[in-house]
Amino acid sequence: MNCSELSQKLDPYLDGELDLTASLALEEHLASCPACRQLRDQQQNLITLTEEELPRFQAPFFLKTRIRASLRAEEPRPAMNTWWRFWPATWVYAGAFALVVITLFLFFWLKPSTSLFQEVIADHIRSLQVNHLMDVASTDQHTVKPWFVGKLTYSPTVIDLSNSGYPLIGGRLDVLRHQEVSAIVYQRRKHYINLFIYPSDPTILKDQFYQNEGYHVFIWSRSGMNYAAVSELNEKELREFVSLIQAQTN
Amino acid sequence: MVDQTHKQHGDSSSLHHFEEVFMPHLDAAYNLARWLLRHEQNAEDAVQEAFLRAFKAFPRFRGGEGKPWLMTIVRNVCYTTIKKLRHQDLLEPFDEVVHQSANSLATSELHQQMANAETLHRALEKLAPEHREIIVLHDLEGLSYKEIATVTAIPIGTVMSRLARARGRLRQEIIALNAKESQP
Repeated sequence: MNCSELSQKLDPYLDGELDLTASLALEEHLASCPACRQLRDQQQNLITLTEEELPRFQAPFFLKTRIRASLRAEEPRPAMNTWWRFWPATWVYAGAFALVVITLFLFFWLKPSTSLFQEVIADHIRSLQVNHLMDVASTDQHTVKPWFVGKLTYSPTVIDLSNSGYPLIGGRLDVLRHQEVSAIVYQRRKHYINLFIYPSDPTILKDQFYQNEGYHVFIWSRSGMNYAAVSELNEKELREFVSLIQAQTN
Repeated sequence: MVDQTHKQHGDSSSLHHFEEVFMPHLDAAYNLARWLLRHEQNAEDAVQEAFLRAFKAFPRFRGGEGKPWLMTIVRNVCYTTIKKLRHQDLLEPFDEVVHQSANSLATSELHQQMANAETLHRALEKLAPEHREIIVLHDLEGLSYKEIATVTAIPIGTVMSRLARARGRLRQEIIALNAKESQP
């Protein structure tokens, strides 16, 4: 190795990047060349200085936070996937919610409707048995209607159907669906008709007919009120009665 | 849905994995950017940009040493910034000084002249970016020739000669700065 070759290989030699054979040849030359030894010392000094004296800039402390935030913000996939992660849970909640809604529907709509008929019939029978058909006995609608004032939070429509053969005979308070309701009593020959009237909140009734053991029940809703007409009167006449009531409450 | 769940897990852990591999090299990335751009704010922005690019390219990261991989990206971002800044005339024009050969100086004299760390700092700042970066990558960040070859996309033989030339330039700058100071 001559001086020119050495100057080319000095840096990799000092950096430990020169292969063993070349390193040995270089060292052999150094041993016999004072000028190259001086060059080696100069270069070694320079490298030591740069390694030891040059500042190694450190990232400001907030940069890491900033980068981490930007990684999370700029990458759309993690956000979208967060959504997906919650999908299964969402479905579970939706399923549970739907189940509750269906149960409530069945409980408050279908099943209660069935038992509403029975309750209406039970009320009707009881009203006849205990001789407690009327709290206010009057054929005058202007007597019956004011009687309810102060007893209920609503005012039922009291219609006199005497001219049609269904005379009003009185009214009373009764309990239906766990609430106090107005019961208007009509007569048809020897038969009594109980007409229950109460607000349709929360349950609006579909027009339905029900009969059981000789009792007939019509239920319907009009203008925010629920109506239930019950009697042992034949279906045809009770239906006529209902039509007359409906005609005057529409 | 199963696939999405898997993907989610893959992503969240890949961000975690990414930070595990590259956050330890934040200082190295900043150091390179700071030396290349010679400006704090620009260096911060460049490093942030580099991390974002690195994360997007992370699926292509084949493992192994993360530092050279990240430094490659940092370097590219910095050169883009330099180009942009040159365009805006915001960067000081680089004056490359060619002075007398360092070999004419005695070792003791050189050492004495170099003792000033500030001079060294200023001398390095005056070097051309490719010379500055190779000294930073090797002497400050301890990257091997092979790693530097990867980062700068040049053959390893060129790394060798460029580093030697960079050191020669650095020596010249130090001498020039000291000569300027010693003048009355």
